[in-house]
Amino acid sequence: MKNFVRFSVIKAFVLKELTELVRTKLIIMVYMMPSMVTILFGYGIAMDVTHSRISIIDNDNSKYSSELISKFSHSKYFDVTLTHESEAQALEKIKKAQSDIILIIPSSFEKNLLKGEKSELGVFIDAAFANRASTMQNYVQGVIQSAATTSAPMMTLNTRTLFNQAMRDEDAIVPGLIGLVLLVAPAILTALLIVKEKEKGTIFNFYASPIGKLEFLIAKLLPVLLLHSVNIFILFIWATYLFDVPFRGSFFLYWLSSEIYILISLSIGMLISIIAKRQIVAVVLTVIITILPAFLYSGMLMPISSMQGASWMEAHIFPVMYYNHILYDCFLIGQGFDSSKIVLYLFILVGYVIALLGLGALFLKKEMR
Amino acid sequence: MADFYPVDALHVSGVSVGYKDKIAISDVSFEAKSGEIIGFIGADGAGKSSLMQAIAGIVRFSGEISYLQHKYHSPKEAEKIKIHTGFMPQGIGLVLYDTLTVDEHLRFFADLRDLKKDAAFLAYKKQLLHMSGLSAFAERQAMNLSGGMMQKLSLICALLHRPKLLILDEPTTGVDPLSRLELWEILRNIAKEEGTIILVSTAYMQEASKMDRVMLFHNSKVIASGTSAELIDSIRPYVYEKSLADNDENSISFDKVIYSLDSLNLSLHEPTLEGLFFVNALKERKKIANFAIKSREDDEVIPEVVMECHGVSKKFGAFVANEKIDMQLKKGEILGLLGANGAGKTTFIKMLLGLYSIDEGKLTLLGQSIKSGKDRQELKSKIGYVSQHFALYKDMSVKENLLYFASMHRIEKKTALSRIALYAKELGFEEYLGSFANELPLGVNQRFSIAAALLHEPLVLFLDEPTSGVDTLARAQFWQILQKLKEVWGISILITTHYMSEAQFCDRVVLLKNGQKVADDTVSNLYERFPKAKDFEDIFLEFYKEKA
Repeated sequence: MKNFVRFSVIKAFVLKELTELVRTKLIIMVYMMPSMVTILFGYGIAMDVTHSRISIIDNDNSKYSSELISKFSHSKYFDVTLTHESEAQALEKIKKAQSDIILIIPSSFEKNLLKGEKSELGVFIDAAFANRASTMQNYVQGVIQSAATTSAPMMTLNTRTLFNQAMRDEDAIVPGLIGLVLLVAPAILTALLIVKEKEKGTIFNFYASPIGKLEFLIAKLLPVLLLHSVNIFILFIWATYLFDVPFRGSFFLYWLSSEIYILISLSIGMLISIIAKRQIVAVVLTVIITILPAFLYSGMLMPISSMQGASWMEAHIFPVMYYNHILYDCFLIGQGFDSSKIVLYLFILVGYVIALLGLGALFLKKEMR
Repeated sequence: MADFYPVDALHVSGVSVGYKDKIAISDVSFEAKSGEIIGFIGADGAGKSSLMQAIAGIVRFSGEISYLQHKYHSPKEAEKIKIHTGFMPQGIGLVLYDTLTVDEHLRFFADLRDLKKDAAFLAYKKQLLHMSGLSAFAERQAMNLSGGMMQKLSLICALLHRPKLLILDEPTTGVDPLSRLELWEILRNIAKEEGTIILVSTAYMQEASKMDRVMLFHNSKVIASGTSAELIDSIRPYVYEKSLADNDENSISFDKVIYSLDSLNLSLHEPTLEGLFFVNALKERKKIANFAIKSREDDEVIPEVVMECHGVSKKFGAFVANEKIDMQLKKGEILGLLGANGAGKTTFIKMLLGLYSIDEGKLTLLGQSIKSGKDRQELKSKIGYVSQHFALYKDMSVKENLLYFASMHRIEKKTALSRIALYAKELGFEEYLGSFANELPLGVNQRFSIAAALLHEPLVLFLDEPTSGVDTLARAQFWQILQKLKEVWGISILITTHYMSEAQFCDRVVLLKNGQKVADDTVSNLYERFPKAKDFEDIFLEFYKEKA
């Protein structure tokens, strides 16, 4: 072999892959899946609860009670209905799922407050969904406490809102989704492209011809890299235009880190294709290996800084955390290359690429097993 | 001269291939010189493919192979010779990409080999396209080609870089007879004009005459090698005409021939290449089970006409799998359904069984007209079926498998157990009753699948390619069982096969071609119609040529 890597051989392979992808219509999946996942999950995962239906029974009809009610009415988190029904009737509404929360203001509410005596509010919450219930509970407490500080300034309550009103859900979720999608989709496509040849038998063309291992790898990875590079821009457009996520950082950093991240994903797909013999096995393995860590350690569900022990270690083993840190910076913070942490993380990602590609080249064999 | 081999010869010495703890082929040595066609003949799993893969340098092996004075012992060391070799693995259209056209394939394979696309290349490409008859289909996608065309395309793709060593693993299996002739024509030319060494394996004995030398494979060993004539001569003294007298223990009798190592007081019979496998079995002192079938337990009356159909058709989209087929299966008859891959044999059987709906036409089974699934329900207990890929539950023993099949037919456990014991004895798989299904040799698996189909004592048997890939001996035994079943039970058997040589064991044959019935007659009548035909293959070819 005169040349280490022959351009014409790679070109032939890449052309063949692209032709096949278009004719088998797999190309649709390449572009549908990332956008679908982003849009479905972007709208679907709502962590906060808006418009919970609260029925308020005001037995006091005083200045303080109406101030409290207006606090609820002005919050986007509550839809207020004022009723004069009995407690039992109101509870019946929760049972019928016509109401989420009942707030009962006692008749001596203002009097007790002015006297400086303790006053008790009755709150009933529909806890059919435990998470949602505890969120609603926090919101109710927050509103009441804030009412207490403004209306009765002599009571200095040390309040801290349990929900961040400024923080939009989309801003927290969508960049994380990009980190998820760009890890899963290129890996699946790479694994499919190689395992498909094994399953069909065309892999013999590689085994029995003088084409080099490196040539084969480049030929298989290049089309995936090219195709998914477009997704970097598509996903950016969904995030900023559809979900209105701000973009405060460097676009170059976003693009560069994403390309490196796709390379990591490719390498994972390639490693899986070495083990898997059937396409279905390749897909299932890839999904398990990529989606779970991408979700758990993306920082979407739990901040990495609050993890401890094993989960902290695992978060640092998977590349998701490093990329997501850069992503959140690009979208929400905008420190960019000024932050030494980001530069370090970028190098760590490059390290992943080198290690994984090296492993793949090492384990890929030009022989049957 | 025979001992002199020039520098461009292939030397294989002491090559063995093993997978995990299983030996695929052990200790093979041979030489091949430029322009020679060497044939590997044997059943599935006899070791042909493994040896080919070792020579092609794509599987690990022990021993030494030397080609063009480059010695190699592993796939890695073989890398250097791959620019000179062409390899076509087993399986129709295996190395083709479904959605690429013929022309795109040629371009891709040329680029894969980094060939210069100069005038000489273009001329050669044109010549190959012409030779394979694919010139007119340059723009057709591979998935729309027929099996024969796929194999021809695979072959010319492997020829594009003018390999000096061509390794072809069963290029003709399952291909229609005309395409098979054409493939051989191409190979002849290449060997002569390019001086290429061609190693080619096949499951068809008749193709041996087209090879310069033949190697016979059996049970991971090469049992004989030489020219076809030499091999046949080597067993001449052991092959006798069959007589009515009972044969002794040390002989095998099959069809019209008796094989015996001891000299018998009988006249000699012209031997065939297949005979070598029988003689080998005698030499290995293998015991050949003698099958005895007891008459069935119940005495159902079998109608004179077991199955009759008129104008039966089946379409898959635009593809017509079966077109207006008329057929009749009589009581106590073995009817052979013959045709190449894709001729519509399996589709037809599946329609008879109700696994596919019938698009058009009338079907009568056991005297009952079949219109809906309900009509079939009660007939199910009277039909036995063995599918192309007979599926056993791998993690259950043979006995457990059989019990399971029996329970599907609601046969009482006591009856089932006694029948299983009986068939195991009669069909000679008693020693395998406790083994797991995946440990069975292919030949035994076939006998056992018959037993599964017989458990409910059916009146008719539908067998879909039961002998595919099975070795000569096991196939002979299989046909003996079918003959006995016919004689003793009076059962009717419809059997499909792509081995033309098996036609002679059938009472009547139906030939299918592209979903149409082209012949329906007894074997002897067909021989009368084509007096020039040497064997049934020739007759079949006549039908294929007619409208080709």
